[in-house]
Amino acid sequence: MSQQIPLTWFLYFAAASFSIGLMGVLMRRNAIGVLMAIEIMLNAANVNFVAFWRYGPTPASEGPISGVMMALFVVTVAAAEVAVGVGLILLCYRRWRAADVDELDSLSG
Amino acid sequence: MAAGFSLQDFILFSPVILLTGWGLLTLILDLTVLSRLGDTERNRALGLWTIAGLVSSVVLCQFLAFEYVGNVSGQDNLIFFDTLNGGVLYTQFAALVLLFAILVTCLSMVWNFTSHWGEYYALLIWSAVSMIVLIASEDLITLFLSLETMTICLYLLTAMEKSKKRSAEAGLKYFVYGSVSSALFLFGLSLVYGQTGSTSIDMIGQILSGAERPGLSGNLAGGVAVLMIMVGFGFKISAVPFHQWAPDAYEGAPAPIAAWLASGSKLASLVAMVKVMGGALGTWSATTSPTSPGWVGLLALISAATMTYGNFTALGQTNLKRLLAYSSIAHAGYMLVGVIAVGISTRREEAAAALFFYLVIYGLTTIAGFALAAWLDRDLGTESVDDLNGLGRRHPYVGVAVCVLMLSMIGIPPTAGFFGKLYMFMEALNVGGQDKVTMIGLVALGLFNSVVSAFYYVRILKAIFLRETDRKPLQNMGPEISLPLAVGAGLALFFGFQPASLLEDMEVVSRSGLRFAERPIASEERGVVRTILPARPASAEAAPPTEAPKP
Amino acid sequence: MIQALFIALSAFGLLMALGTVFARNLVNAALFLVAFFFVIACQFVLLEAEFMAAIQVLIYIGAVTVILMFGIMLTRNIQGDETTTVSKRWRLLGLGAFGTVCTVLVLGINAYQPWTDLAVRPEFPVTKDSTTPRGQAILSMTPTVGREMMTRYVVAFELAGLLLTAALVGAVVLAQHDSTDIVNAKAEKPGTEPAVTGS
Repeated sequence: MSQQIPLTWFLYFAAASFSIGLMGVLMRRNAIGVLMAIEIMLNAANVNFVAFWRYGPTPASEGPISGVMMALFVVTVAAAEVAVGVGLILLCYRRWRAADVDELDSLSG
Repeated sequence: MAAGFSLQDFILFSPVILLTGWGLLTLILDLTVLSRLGDTERNRALGLWTIAGLVSSVVLCQFLAFEYVGNVSGQDNLIFFDTLNGGVLYTQFAALVLLFAILVTCLSMVWNFTSHWGEYYALLIWSAVSMIVLIASEDLITLFLSLETMTICLYLLTAMEKSKKRSAEAGLKYFVYGSVSSALFLFGLSLVYGQTGSTSIDMIGQILSGAERPGLSGNLAGGVAVLMIMVGFGFKISAVPFHQWAPDAYEGAPAPIAAWLASGSKLASLVAMVKVMGGALGTWSATTSPTSPGWVGLLALISAATMTYGNFTALGQTNLKRLLAYSSIAHAGYMLVGVIAVGISTRREEAAAALFFYLVIYGLTTIAGFALAAWLDRDLGTESVDDLNGLGRRHPYVGVAVCVLMLSMIGIPPTAGFFGKLYMFMEALNVGGQDKVTMIGLVALGLFNSVVSAFYYVRILKAIFLRETDRKPLQNMGPEISLPLAVGAGLALFFGFQPASLLEDMEVVSRSGLRFAERPIASEERGVVRTILPARPASAEAAPPTEAPKP
Repeated sequence: MIQALFIALSAFGLLMALGTVFARNLVNAALFLVAFFFVIACQFVLLEAEFMAAIQVLIYIGAVTVILMFGIMLTRNIQGDETTTVSKRWRLLGLGAFGTVCTVLVLGINAYQPWTDLAVRPEFPVTKDSTTPRGQAILSMTPTVGREMMTRYVVAFELAGLLLTAALVGAVVLAQHDSTDIVNAKAEKPGTEPAVTGS
């Protein structure tokens, strides 16, 4: 068959996305912006899982789609986390007008 | 172990199933039967209902331990397609987590910091469920899922005190730090999965130890993976420099939840850490040569930093909850010494047993400490250490109990805290090779830090016994506060006089529950490495235990 | 040809991720995120995991983005648009982290022999006569997922159900208005403790 995509290309893409997400976490001050950057990171890990599943050798005891299942559960966790995060953000912003991640300093010390 | 599951697996899993259903019933109860009652009555009713559920689950665990889990050998007790451990590790630690949960529920009944009691107790029960599954998990998928479930329930519980701004801020801060670290953790897991092709902890350990060049030499991707996994775990146990969320979260959360964070989540996370880093990544642990670093060195640095930072920062704290938070960080530092010992010691099961011993004592005494903070919070609204002035005169028994607690936390005989530190540090010195110097330094630092910690624990005792009170007096304790306090102090004293009983129990637990693959032997060690299992063939017979369990 | 497609797709995806991180307006950032999620779904298709691609679109674009949008809209007037400039220190730290992590990861990937050897994926193309478990799974992924969920990953499946329930219950409790909320909102000034403790 003609040329295919090597595994490492998928890994490079995932690594680059992960780094961009990490940069976003550090640079964003709004909590929702941080949440979006976290989603980018989680998606990068998902690409890793599925790519390793497709390309790599798997011991027989693991089941045929272990990587895909892991990615599936990660999607579930991410969705739950976003729900909880937005709930917390609503609590903080609407009730207490605490607007900025850096300004959460009413706790002393 | 036959791959698959049977009725027995479900029976072994029944405490978890019972508790999950109990949590749902708590919610329903709150909405229907109890909706007419006021906050205090609902709190009491739901608290007692929750305790009933937790107690029945503990009873079920012990019954299962008697009836079903006979043998000690490691291989036969994997259930549910080998994703969970159904053996003594699971039943005993489940009972322990549930004991902590019972004490925390007692504390929650002290005062009304929220009006959503049904949801609160349901989340408390479910976080206990996920801690139990985390301890029992043998597969990365189950591990990650239960870790996240536990943490998400804890985020929610931290922010439950909606009337106080500090609670919401604590919850949000905890959430942001926690989510970032779990994303990092997940990426590390994906790299490990890529190197082995497997998500089963046991299989990962075997594959990594069977590689042509075991160890991290030349394996930059593996090194990055280990680093990221350490970030994830380090956050959960509030190790430096991933501890930033802890003081604020502990101070802002209601006192029972701070106690729960300090005891339950640390216990579950440390057991998971021992499993993953000692078991799956055990091959990468020791520094066998200058070009093949292990994670021991980095973890030793983290441990040293955590101990020192936690202790020295606690010296300057005036808020009791914040002081307990930093003390908890320092204890995490000591326990990391135990984790390193499990990674590279020549007697890994005993090292794990010593670490678990320390964990039990630490959990009980910390909950008791937070009980004190809850008492202050209920009556005075804040928990400054100065609020404790003169407590010893009015409530002498409380003073004695707190004295025992502080002695245990410092590590002074004859309390159990002393034996915990003794065992753990002694096991930590049982290493060979190049890491021995590191471990000696670490243990010396641990002892030095214990001495430093005495200064702030004694400050609490000073306030209680030697100062005159200038605050308004506290009302009667009530059984909700005195139970955790009595249990913590009593067990700290009891296990101080009888440490062997708990230690043997923990040895049985660690022998049955932890699997350690082969690891590269440094040239100085004389073949003292013991493995608990041979390489597992597809149709396994139970491997005989390597040593008969002590009676 | 497929390599060119992959390169174009990846470059687009990385640009969308950069847009998410750097967009001033949060709604624009969310839209960039949607595009990024879609690119990830395309990656899954390239990896022959079409089921994952469908799930990605359904859950990430269909649910997660909607929740994020809700969050953005409901907190809009409090801070206004994101016009804050990030301090120089954090900007440098962010760029430094990006550079370090990306470089280290790329070097690590390059150095690991078993990964660089996999320039051709095994069992390609997967045909109907494929006998390996993975090949069979790729041909009929949805039934395989269902079967695995109910056997090998049943504990994880139930635990995921518990996770979602707990998240649902908790998020509702936290975000809802309490009966004392209006009293508190009027009594307090922004950023201070309310007069009433205990809700």
